[in-house]
Amino acid sequence: MWLVFQKEIKELLRDRKTLFFMIALPLLLFPLIFGGVAYFSGKAIEKAQNKVLTYTIIGAEFAPTLAGKLSQADDLSLNTSALEADDVAGIKALVKSESVDFVLVIPNTYSDSVLKVGQNVLTLYLNDAGLNMVQRRLNNIVDNLSESNRDQAFIELGIAEDIQKGLIEPIVIDKVSTADKRESIGEKIGGLIPYMVFILCLQGAMLPATDIGAGEKERGTLETLLISPIPRNQLVMGKFLTIAFAGVTSAMVTVASLFVWGVMLSQGMAVELITEFMGAISALDFVLMFAMLIPVVAIFSAVLLSLSIYAKSFKEAQGYMTPLVFIVLIPIILAMLPGIKLEGIYAWIPLMNVALAIKELIKGTMDYMALIPIFLSTTAIAGLLLAFCIQWFNREKVLFR
Amino acid sequence: MIEIKQLAKKFKVDNPKKLSEQEKKDPRLKGRFFHSVQNVNFVCDTGQVLGLLGPNGAGKTTVLRMLSSALKPDTGAILIDGEDVLSNPLIARQKIGFLSGSTGLYGRLSGRENIEYFGRLHGMNKRTIADKIEELAEVLDLSSFLDRRCENYSTGMKQRVSIARAVVHTPKVVVLDEPTTGLDIMATQTVIEFIRTLKQQQVPVIFSTHHLDEVSELCDTVSVIDEGKTKYNGDLHSFAALADGSLHQSFLTSIE
Repeated sequence: MWLVFQKEIKELLRDRKTLFFMIALPLLLFPLIFGGVAYFSGKAIEKAQNKVLTYTIIGAEFAPTLAGKLSQADDLSLNTSALEADDVAGIKALVKSESVDFVLVIPNTYSDSVLKVGQNVLTLYLNDAGLNMVQRRLNNIVDNLSESNRDQAFIELGIAEDIQKGLIEPIVIDKVSTADKRESIGEKIGGLIPYMVFILCLQGAMLPATDIGAGEKERGTLETLLISPIPRNQLVMGKFLTIAFAGVTSAMVTVASLFVWGVMLSQGMAVELITEFMGAISALDFVLMFAMLIPVVAIFSAVLLSLSIYAKSFKEAQGYMTPLVFIVLIPIILAMLPGIKLEGIYAWIPLMNVALAIKELIKGTMDYMALIPIFLSTTAIAGLLLAFCIQWFNREKVLFR
Repeated sequence: MIEIKQLAKKFKVDNPKKLSEQEKKDPRLKGRFFHSVQNVNFVCDTGQVLGLLGPNGAGKTTVLRMLSSALKPDTGAILIDGEDVLSNPLIARQKIGFLSGSTGLYGRLSGRENIEYFGRLHGMNKRTIADKIEELAEVLDLSSFLDRRCENYSTGMKQRVSIARAVVHTPKVVVLDEPTTGLDIMATQTVIEFIRTLKQQQVPVIFSTHHLDEVSELCDTVSVIDEGKTKYNGDLHSFAALADGSLHQSFLTSIE
């Protein structure tokens, strides 16, 4: 068995293409994704923030205070226009032609005295589809003015300061969460981690699995191997272990790369958050996560090997394996749904229970008793699939299709 | 010595509609089963070379696969030196060296590693394998390329390494399934010379072929099968005497 394993690993290590996909790609991919996204989004936000916005104000004479404040802002520049407030089409055309970033229309009823006119409604015309800073900058100025107008009104009415607060917001709910930081972050990312790890394990195992089964058939080496005096079950075990090893390695490399680059690239506060978060998860939890992955990888490997040996060629094997990714996605996505917990029947559904358990472990709310059904069900399924695979390898119909 | 008695093998037909026109007309198709091999017998003595002849689809490959223990016969017996190997396929695997024209090598391993791997699978230790490889490299002239990766080999190089791989465990019988099909003249010559060497070493060789010149050059006995049944068994001389003129004529006479 180890002989077969050794030889398969040796061959795998010499296959540059597979190695590239298994190791080099995840190592390079994550910094590119992280770095690229951070760089470009940073650039775009910076550009939007520094841009001076041009505007037109209609009815400025009704609100001289507001108009004055707008003209004082250094990131806004006035562009006068002879348009009338009721020429909606004309205003829209002006914004569309991009000669101004926004048009603010002030009604002729405007007054700074709240007690006289009540609420003032201003109309803002802008292209709100893309990233822009119009509303934020305008709100800064308008909120300021509207607060001072309101305070003025309160003073005129003679309302005490604590009553003022009550008038603005009569009831306030003060939220105290019993979940610590770990649990709340865990809930958010805990569903994604099993998703990533499962898919990566499967992907990493797929290439060697194709090579080891269908590849041997296609190259004409299978027949010779079958008639060598090694018991069939040992042959299957050797190949099975190679696939499992490749799957785990690939997943570990990717996760490690994600972690290392993530820490390196997310600077400042985020680093503290991540280190604090990672520090909260105990070594035992990591070991448990890894231990649960073993039967999962065994399930994947047995299925992949069975499919691969059934296929006549690489192409056929890849055709059989692609839908497997979607099948694996189902229990993981179900596990991500809110309200589904590691209880009752869910603790017995393979893959789904492991996905849920990894989430619980990350959150730090694991019920360790649930490990019993998890290990029982996944190990049983893995064992059955492996037995099936050995049986499958003994069938002439499968080997000599 | 290897003896084959009343060998038979049927395959289940899952979807009769998928069969080709020729297969549908074949009298071996009975209901859901295709009786690929029905009654095959032959004997190959120590130091003899037996040529297995038959038209395409006659069941030659199936017979040889049963001989190599890759397939399990439904009925019949295979005796190597009087010992029935069907009850214990592991013994058959140790005693038989098998090679077919379509055999491949692991491209990312060197020739030496390929031979070594099969030596180890046969339970040989590293020392014995190394000695055996030395010996085979001498006979088959492998030394110049043995440590290079197989993916870059020419067809002839591949075939020579495959031969070495097939006999690394010093088999009692060597079975070759169309070993020269698809090979160029040089590579074919390597195979023919290798069969001669085996003959000198008193190892019985069974090989299937479509080339009658190879038969006249190498074989002591000839066995002809058609539609899964043995049609002729005898020495080369009497086979040639079946018809006037060429061996081709003899072959056609034998399957009539």
